[in-house]
Amino acid sequence: VKRRLGHFLVRVGAIAAKEVLHIRRDPRTLYMALVMPVLMLLLFGFGVSFDMDHIPLAVADRDGTRASRELVDAFVAPGEFALARRAGPEEAGDLFRRGRALALLVVPRDYERDLSRGAGPRLQLLVDGADPVTANQILAKADAIVRSVGLARARRAGLSAEPPLQVKVYTLYNPEARSAEYLVPGLAAYLMAIAAVLLTALTVAGEWERGSMEQLFASPVGRLDIILGKLLPYLGLGILQLLLVVGVGTAVFDVPIQGSPLAVFAFGFLFLIGMLGQGLLISVVTKNQLVATQAGALSALLPSMLLSGMLFPLENMPLALRVLSYVVPARYLVRGLRGVMLKGNGLGVLWPDLLAMAILALAILAVATGRFKRRLA
Amino acid sequence: VIGGRRPGLARVQFAATVRKEVLQTVRDRRVMFMLVAAPLIQTILFGFAVDFDVDRIPTVVADRDRSPESREHLRRLLADGTLRRTAVAGDAAEAERLIDRWDAAAAVVLPPGFGADLAAGRPAEVQVVLDGSDPNRSNVAAGAVSRYFGEVAESMMRDRLERQGLPSPALPTVAPRLWYNPSLRTAPFMVPGILSMLLVIVTTIVTAMGLSREREVGTLEQVMVTPIQPLWLLAAKMTPFVFIGLFDVLLVTTAGSWIFDIPLRGSLLVLFAGTLVYLLSTLGVGLLISTVSSNQQQSFLAGFLFALPAILLSGVMTPIGAMPAWLQAVTYLNPLRYFAEAARAILLKGAGFADVWFQLVALLAFGLAILGLAAARFHKRMA
Repeated sequence: VKRRLGHFLVRVGAIAAKEVLHIRRDPRTLYMALVMPVLMLLLFGFGVSFDMDHIPLAVADRDGTRASRELVDAFVAPGEFALARRAGPEEAGDLFRRGRALALLVVPRDYERDLSRGAGPRLQLLVDGADPVTANQILAKADAIVRSVGLARARRAGLSAEPPLQVKVYTLYNPEARSAEYLVPGLAAYLMAIAAVLLTALTVAGEWERGSMEQLFASPVGRLDIILGKLLPYLGLGILQLLLVVGVGTAVFDVPIQGSPLAVFAFGFLFLIGMLGQGLLISVVTKNQLVATQAGALSALLPSMLLSGMLFPLENMPLALRVLSYVVPARYLVRGLRGVMLKGNGLGVLWPDLLAMAILALAILAVATGRFKRRLA
Repeated sequence: VIGGRRPGLARVQFAATVRKEVLQTVRDRRVMFMLVAAPLIQTILFGFAVDFDVDRIPTVVADRDRSPESREHLRRLLADGTLRRTAVAGDAAEAERLIDRWDAAAAVVLPPGFGADLAAGRPAEVQVVLDGSDPNRSNVAAGAVSRYFGEVAESMMRDRLERQGLPSPALPTVAPRLWYNPSLRTAPFMVPGILSMLLVIVTTIVTAMGLSREREVGTLEQVMVTPIQPLWLLAAKMTPFVFIGLFDVLLVTTAGSWIFDIPLRGSLLVLFAGTLVYLLSTLGVGLLISTVSSNQQQSFLAGFLFALPAILLSGVMTPIGAMPAWLQAVTYLNPLRYFAEAARAILLKGAGFADVWFQLVALLAFGLAILGLAAARFHKRMA
């Protein structure tokens, strides 16, 4: 038994060594596979934010009094909004219609007089709703600014406006609300999916395309040897990517690892196994690199981004997608990495996620190996 | 053809190659599936999965007062659906434990005596505990609680002033009016963005890999031996993708308006013109990638290395205005930015040539530059 195991390891090792040689002969692939995660992480970390400040605002001040100027200053001074251009009422409307300003504030004539007479004047705010995130921010910010202007006037008029009711907010885990802490665990899933599924699918599909797979079958190596030998180097590459993403995340963006680094590794490892299996399955089914790319993008990349909770909360989605997300391994990985890195969860909390990933990985590997066998016959 | 003039010959050669390319593309059913069904699947998935309007936030409620007032406030706070009660805790510590175990992402804790304090006009405090690992969601949760209790506080203040016989302060109010997308749905915002992402995936990566494959197999060299001019050959190879691109635009906008009820306010003609100039860039990048890659794997990786940052820096997912200034400057070099802007303006705002001419000219300039560079490299490599 020991000798058979020895032979087995030698065969797997030989295939793996050949595959490593392939990767090393083609250093550009290796560079790109390693540069991509770092580049994406930096771009996401610096570039992805929904919080706009200096939102371009056009103002049509029909009143032109001290009170109206005070109001406009309250919009512009804290940096939440920026005047697109000082303009008269007509021109301001034009700025908004042409998209140069995302909102148009119309201060009515008699604004000051209404205020001093005790009638609440109505300000008009036209908001460009094409981008709903920005529009919502504009609405919330404008509401808060106008309310605070009103309360400040009331206070000056001697009317106590001290709110008797206070809301105290405590934020756990990511108190500064930095998007990097949120994105790094999710990105790790996405980037590992690219490498594991697509690179595997492409290499193996390439062997079918060129006919070298048939040559391998003619040699005495078994199909398990081929599969393991082919997948091992990409497992290594995936782990390298995980280390890179987590390393850059902690070094550049100060993302903490509250829990055990070993748990991070365990999650990454199980995820990679499943993704490699998926890559193998795609290559066996498509046998064509071009089709394999698109199949991989549709079955691995898209779900890993959209149905994992990486960017958009799952509980927000329609029921059908929520149900579908249970078979997306990235869902468990994102939760697991966030739990370990940000919350400091241990396996006591996260074991169901690890178990689900293990089941999905075994299932897809079994299907892939089965299809591989039938192709051989 | 014998004795035919060169322009005529070139036209015949071009037509023949186009015919061959179209046949080859159409005959491979899997490729056709990818070019037709994949865009549809992407549109549907993006349209349903991406919703910037966060609600149904799982919330644990700790009502330590247990008075009719506290129950009523909690009921009204949860009524609009932004927060959804998923658990009940006895105190703040238990609520935190539930958040730690992923049973909730927010907690609202009402202290003992809350109702009595409010009724007596004594200051009261509501505690909110948030899972900050998703900053957007925790912002929404905090906003919902603050807004609700802010309104309660304001109406209590007015009541108090009224009881004391004082006039209510005259507060200005805002009457917002939303243009273009009045119910602020995410799908009308996403679908034009999906178009720009999709065309990159379908045209850039498919072109780059297709040409790399021909080089791998050696068919490109075989064709080069025939009298066809390399540039005509290239043009012929790109032609099917121009039609596939236009078809995908039609498909996605149709699906978008049927399934997600997005408005189609502008003219399809302007959108097609925008697509054509955009395709110059996406096909050009694909060609350029194929000239620097030696196999399909490299082409694929290089394609993604272009596509992912380009999508991120296009304003499709997050507003460009929210990026740091240096990144905002970089987005001006990104063809996706111009197409996404133009598509959004055409579909949602009914923009015509007069409104999006700048984007179209920018796309044309980028497209010609990239395509020219790529063709030059291709020519050199083939010669």
